[in-house]
Amino acid sequence: MVTKPQPGSIVKIKTQKETLQGTLLESPDSKVILLKLSSGYNIGIKKKDIKQIKTIKKPEKQNEIKQINKLEKKQELKNIALIVVGGTISSKLDSTTGAVKWLTNPNELLKFYPEIKDISNITKIEMPFMIASENMSYKHWKKIAKITQKLLNNTGIAGVIITAGTDFLHYISAALSFFLKNLNKPVVLTYSQRSSDRASSDARLNLICSAKVAISNISEVMLVGHSSINDDFCYAMLGTKVRKMHTSRRDAFKPINTKPIAKIWADKNKPIKILANNYRKRDNNKKVKLNIKFNENIALIKYYPGQKPDFLNNKYDGIILEGSGLGHLATKEAKYNWLPKLKKAIKSGTIICVTSQTIFGRVDPIVYSPGRQLAKTGVIHLGDMLSETAYIKLGWTLAQTKDPKKVKEIMLKNISKEFNPKLGIEFIN
Amino acid sequence: MTEYSKIGLKSGIEIHQQLDTHKLFCNCPSILRTEEPDFIVKRKLHAVAGESGEIDIAAEHEAKIDKIFNYQGYNNTTCLVELDEEPPHEINQEALKIVVQISLLLNAEILTISQIMRKTVIDGSNTSGFQRTVLIAKNGWIETEQGRVGIDSIALEEDAAKIVSKQENTATFRLDRLGIPLVEIATSPDIKSPKQAREVALHIGEILRACKVKRGIGTIRQDVNISISGSKRIEIKGVQDPRLIRKTIITEIQRQKQLVKNKQSRAEVRKAEQNGTTTFLRPLPGIARMYPETDLPLLKIPKKLIDEAKRNLPKLKSEKREKLRGIGLNEELIKLILKKDKLNDFEELSPIYKNKNLIAKLLVLWPQEIIKKTKPKNPLTLDIIETILQAINNNKITENNAKQVLREYLQGKSITESLKKQKTNISKLEQEIEQLIKNKPDLSIKAYMGLIMQKYKTQVSGKEVMDTLKKLVK
Repeated sequence: MVTKPQPGSIVKIKTQKETLQGTLLESPDSKVILLKLSSGYNIGIKKKDIKQIKTIKKPEKQNEIKQINKLEKKQELKNIALIVVGGTISSKLDSTTGAVKWLTNPNELLKFYPEIKDISNITKIEMPFMIASENMSYKHWKKIAKITQKLLNNTGIAGVIITAGTDFLHYISAALSFFLKNLNKPVVLTYSQRSSDRASSDARLNLICSAKVAISNISEVMLVGHSSINDDFCYAMLGTKVRKMHTSRRDAFKPINTKPIAKIWADKNKPIKILANNYRKRDNNKKVKLNIKFNENIALIKYYPGQKPDFLNNKYDGIILEGSGLGHLATKEAKYNWLPKLKKAIKSGTIICVTSQTIFGRVDPIVYSPGRQLAKTGVIHLGDMLSETAYIKLGWTLAQTKDPKKVKEIMLKNISKEFNPKLGIEFIN
Repeated sequence: MTEYSKIGLKSGIEIHQQLDTHKLFCNCPSILRTEEPDFIVKRKLHAVAGESGEIDIAAEHEAKIDKIFNYQGYNNTTCLVELDEEPPHEINQEALKIVVQISLLLNAEILTISQIMRKTVIDGSNTSGFQRTVLIAKNGWIETEQGRVGIDSIALEEDAAKIVSKQENTATFRLDRLGIPLVEIATSPDIKSPKQAREVALHIGEILRACKVKRGIGTIRQDVNISISGSKRIEIKGVQDPRLIRKTIITEIQRQKQLVKNKQSRAEVRKAEQNGTTTFLRPLPGIARMYPETDLPLLKIPKKLIDEAKRNLPKLKSEKREKLRGIGLNEELIKLILKKDKLNDFEELSPIYKNKNLIAKLLVLWPQEIIKKTKPKNPLTLDIIETILQAINNNKITENNAKQVLREYLQGKSITESLKKQKTNISKLEQEIEQLIKNKPDLSIKAYMGLIMQKYKTQVSGKEVMDTLKKLVK
């Protein structure tokens, strides 16, 4: 009979061939028992081959990381707050069980990346939930915004850092860019692409640079991360004009259609270098307000040649269509002409906006006749706005008004630097 | 009791050998580069706290100095995996198969389920801060004159980046070597004498060379662990030549004896020098911290792979030599066949002719003699040798003519011409074919061929019949 000892126990396992002793680990495969041998290697044994399994020693109560009840504070340093909501940066490997888990105690983050404490005091750490960024939705963005507002309005806090998963981090940054009104201090989102157990983790540089930005004078929602695959400096990038452009590189995030706001080195004494001067300045006297409503009955859809426009029959309040380079969609000469369906949907009250799937550059419906035909249907072309930012802005706008005229006006108004009227030659890499 | 058991000698060997495949966790070729690098990536590594919050002392020591590591890469042989910018790809199946073969040759038990591990290394030689390694087999053994020596473990791991230069606060590594598959073989501490250590190293070396491993300087590294009664364990790194192992151990025993006498023995890692002495490298670190490679699933070695490895198990040189002696080959020819790696060819030709020494001469001895004098104008293939052997079988030429036929062929004549020149009488076969054509005119060449072959079966070669037919059928 095979009993079920706890992971972390020292066990003796008898099979037909041999007897093995080691530490039982959590196995990723339900048919396999995973055992750590004294050499440090982990090996698997098929459950069906096991004749007997005996616990020699139960796992010791895990040394709970000493609660840092009172977060350390150095007089000469400014205070910042951390919001931890998931992602590689806030997961760790549990060596007793061999599984990757979320941090359970926010103070652990400081244990992994102690250098941040040389830049600033971390006086508050909030961990409202832990969730992968692909599983987030409005509910989570709202929660993050609320906590951020509270922290920003705390006079003892100079800035806020939010750590989250990379994949949809630019959705969070876009949401905060619209949800937080009257911003007074820096709001920094950061991440890691390499886990904390690695000596090579990119989180260190990202966190150190984030802390430097959080105490700086730049009062914007920003994403801070590696500027290249070197561990030398980070960029601070505008929350509405940043996008994940690589699956795994540490410099995955790139500013799109704009310059980085600033360049930040790890060296504590090396000042931040401002690259774009039009940023909002810190004003500790201002109080941040929330404009946090969101209409979730919207969609973000990528157009492809030959696509059927049937989804337009669904009753969406708004749709962002990622069109061709200049923002075209199928017209008369296509197998499926979208124009009649678009007209019908718009007439029935759906707001339809068009962005570009080339990511870089600006949509322009005037240059070619298909664009002009499309513009006549009443779709709104969104200039150089990123599709992801447009999605967030549309949900946010449609929660304020459903009047098509007003929606169009808000969508085209530059609220959080989501538009750049002047695209230079340097904004592509 | 021998001189060494009296002093309580305990010794084990660890051998690292590069395999001859592409890299272990990416598709980059395992090529060492000498040109200027195409790019340099700058990185920092930091000590990472363990589960209980403590930082490994050795790791902390390294990380305290805020070192910058430069990694040299090449556009065509370096990828994001070596740069720690992409998760590892699936483990190289060819490398896995080679290690399974090595394990079988070392009589070890293959683990059918294992986990790829990360071994913490933060001296900069791994961009990730760890080395990936996976246990493939355990509990093997080899036989020596002084008894059996156990093989504790056989692991498959990635080689580290090569150090190019080192300053106080920076170090430069080249990424060409990072990720080349290595097999790590660790013996049990069963070795009882310096002589036995040498025998073990040579024996394992022979097994490795029978498999698909890299050859040449730097492709194999040998470490020796030694202790005697009263001494701490010493690890000697990088004995280049297995022939030096014996001398290195003898020298180290003398050093240890002195230290024990003065109560100065401490656990150390020492570097093996060319003359058999050693020099201090660093204190012996604790057991390396190993934890799972979470980017990859459990490694399952299918029965099919093991069975296939068993079927294609390479023969050791010593086994091959025995076998060739058994057939009656002389030592010079055996040496040549093994040196030129012609065993398979020899075995293919062997059934054709009874005099095995003649086959070996045609295959390895005479060609090199002839080629030494004049550059060959025709390629020597197995078919050519077979044709010559068949000509002897069919009494078209004699054994004494064989070398001359080979010479003329290599000097540019066609094989038919070379043979014809040696021919002493018109062959019986030719007469037979002429008669057949006369009796049954207007058949196709194929039809004549069929009839002749039916009659002569294996007494003549198909080629010979076809050549004659082509000549006679108009």
